[in-house]
Amino acid sequence: MSKLIIKNLTKKFNEVLAVDNLSLEVSDGEFVTLLGPSGCGKTTTLRAIAGFCYPDEGEIFFGDRIMNNVPPNKRNTAMCFQSYALFPHMSVWDNICFGLKMQKISRQEQKKRISRVMGMLGIEGLEKRKPGQLSGGQQQRVALARAIVTEPQVLLFDEPLSNLDAKLRVQVRIEIREMQKRLGITTLYVTHDQDEALAISDRIVVMNSGHVEQLGDPYTIYRNPRTSFVAGFIGLANIYQGNIIAKNGNRYTLETSFGKVTILSEGQKIPKTNKTVKFIWRPEEMKIYTKGAPNRIKGKILQAVFMGNITDIFIDVQGNKIRAQIDEPAKINAGDVIEFSIPEDAFSILRG
Amino acid sequence: MKNKEISPMNILMLFPGVGFILLFIGSSIFLTLVQSFGLFSITGISEFTLENWKAILQTKESIDSLLFSLKMGLLSSVGTVVVAFPIALFFRKGGTGKGIMGSIIKVPLFIPALVAAFLILNLISYHGLVNTVLLRLNLIDESLRMLNDKFGWGVVFIQIWKNLPFVLLIVMASLASIRDDTIDAAKNLGAGYWSILFRIYVPLAIPGILVSMILMFIKAFGDFPIASVAGPIYPASMAGRMHIMATIYQEWDQAAVLGVIIIVTAFIVIWAYSRLAEFVKGEV
Repeated sequence: MSKLIIKNLTKKFNEVLAVDNLSLEVSDGEFVTLLGPSGCGKTTTLRAIAGFCYPDEGEIFFGDRIMNNVPPNKRNTAMCFQSYALFPHMSVWDNICFGLKMQKISRQEQKKRISRVMGMLGIEGLEKRKPGQLSGGQQQRVALARAIVTEPQVLLFDEPLSNLDAKLRVQVRIEIREMQKRLGITTLYVTHDQDEALAISDRIVVMNSGHVEQLGDPYTIYRNPRTSFVAGFIGLANIYQGNIIAKNGNRYTLETSFGKVTILSEGQKIPKTNKTVKFIWRPEEMKIYTKGAPNRIKGKILQAVFMGNITDIFIDVQGNKIRAQIDEPAKINAGDVIEFSIPEDAFSILRG
Repeated sequence: MKNKEISPMNILMLFPGVGFILLFIGSSIFLTLVQSFGLFSITGISEFTLENWKAILQTKESIDSLLFSLKMGLLSSVGTVVVAFPIALFFRKGGTGKGIMGSIIKVPLFIPALVAAFLILNLISYHGLVNTVLLRLNLIDESLRMLNDKFGWGVVFIQIWKNLPFVLLIVMASLASIRDDTIDAAKNLGAGYWSILFRIYVPLAIPGILVSMILMFIKAFGDFPIASVAGPIYPASMAGRMHIMATIYQEWDQAAVLGVIIIVTAFIVIWAYSRLAEFVKGEV
């Protein structure tokens, strides 16, 4: 187990800037997720840490040791690949044993460790099977067993669940998290699935075009996105602009294209009055208006889709299309004119 | 396709390909086999006899030819794969000069075996280029006998040169099917270059290696032109011995016996390959 430090990492492929001056510290035993769309540089960062590609600039440390020029087989990282990358010609046992053989661990210790991880991941009885004889979930568990059995300093996951069906994905991600907590291995996880990132991580690094957009715990990333990109990439969002017209303590009033809104600022840096800012709120924060509720807005329902636990609604408010997700039992139909309210603490001011 | 779905039209469509093989190759094999037992002989006599087999199997020249061809088949197949494998690995990884090297390596594919033998002959003959250079550099006192040598190294050398591109294509296809992730996973788990080579590349390329070796073996075992030009004076290759028996001694039926031995050897090698491939593949 070890602290992972990345300082000003830059990686180019020809003229394409894959990772742009990325810095990150992952504490001992912490689970950090790199989240972003395809091509944002998250996998390149992971591969640089594993040693599969060398940084053009910047430094990678495991604890105090700089790893830039250490070959991948000497780094003591373990990676779970999107394709599982199991050795097709070897049995499950031999796959899991591979890293131990490379480390020249004694046969007795090999047996002990393999039995322990197979038990931990519930794959006992598969020892003699070849990867081609396993289901996707079993292959993923074998890949995980192969990674953790070597007791690596840093555990790396490259979209490990993307080939599994939705139900299994949820199950395996819980298993990964529990196993990581139990072993306390410093872990860096790459995904483009925001639900996965929110569910599994201690902290999330949202990446875009090679740089870090925002770094924070899942709650902060979701509730207080710093940029339009983060707001739009994680969850659903209503993003609008408004002019700050008044300040009263930590309450700010904004003039927007759909009326005035009052924002309650809790620790957020809010610019001075007479400034135009971008702000967001989540559709699920909206409520059907009840007497005395703040930020009352009235609009015509353009579309309402009943989805069981919620109703997904698009509302026309003075020519603005606002999305709401209401979990109240009232039946809402397109064409209805309804009043909604938005809690003052539901808003977040964006920096960019 | 299930059996019940095979219609007369399906069979008719298979006929140009399968029919050709059955008719021409099958009939040739059949005739060679029966002629070796004295039936349908080219001399016009048709009488069952084991004399041709006895004559061949009791002649030292024939046994020596068989052993020589087996040796040439084995060394050429192993040698070609050993030379082709590192080149195929280089092409898999890519790098500068890949295009030019690829073109140069394919040259022997387009040169007939007999022409290839004469080309190499100029290089490795007693007064050839290699010996001349070695003598001029004072690395040797006397020219080396690399051609028509008793062991047959000249034949092996030409076989490897001639068949390298062909084997390279098969081995490259095998290596191309290995995913980069698999190699990265091995590195990530601590494997160095040699471990990756012998624990990952070679086992995963085994089907291609075996196919290459079997095809090379059959080619080299039944070879006539290269062994005729670059082989030793004695023994002749199996094909060379067949030629001698048929055209010099006019013993066509005994030549047929040698032909049957070549065919049977090819079948044995193919059978051994399929068993070996099953073993490598393991239980599925």
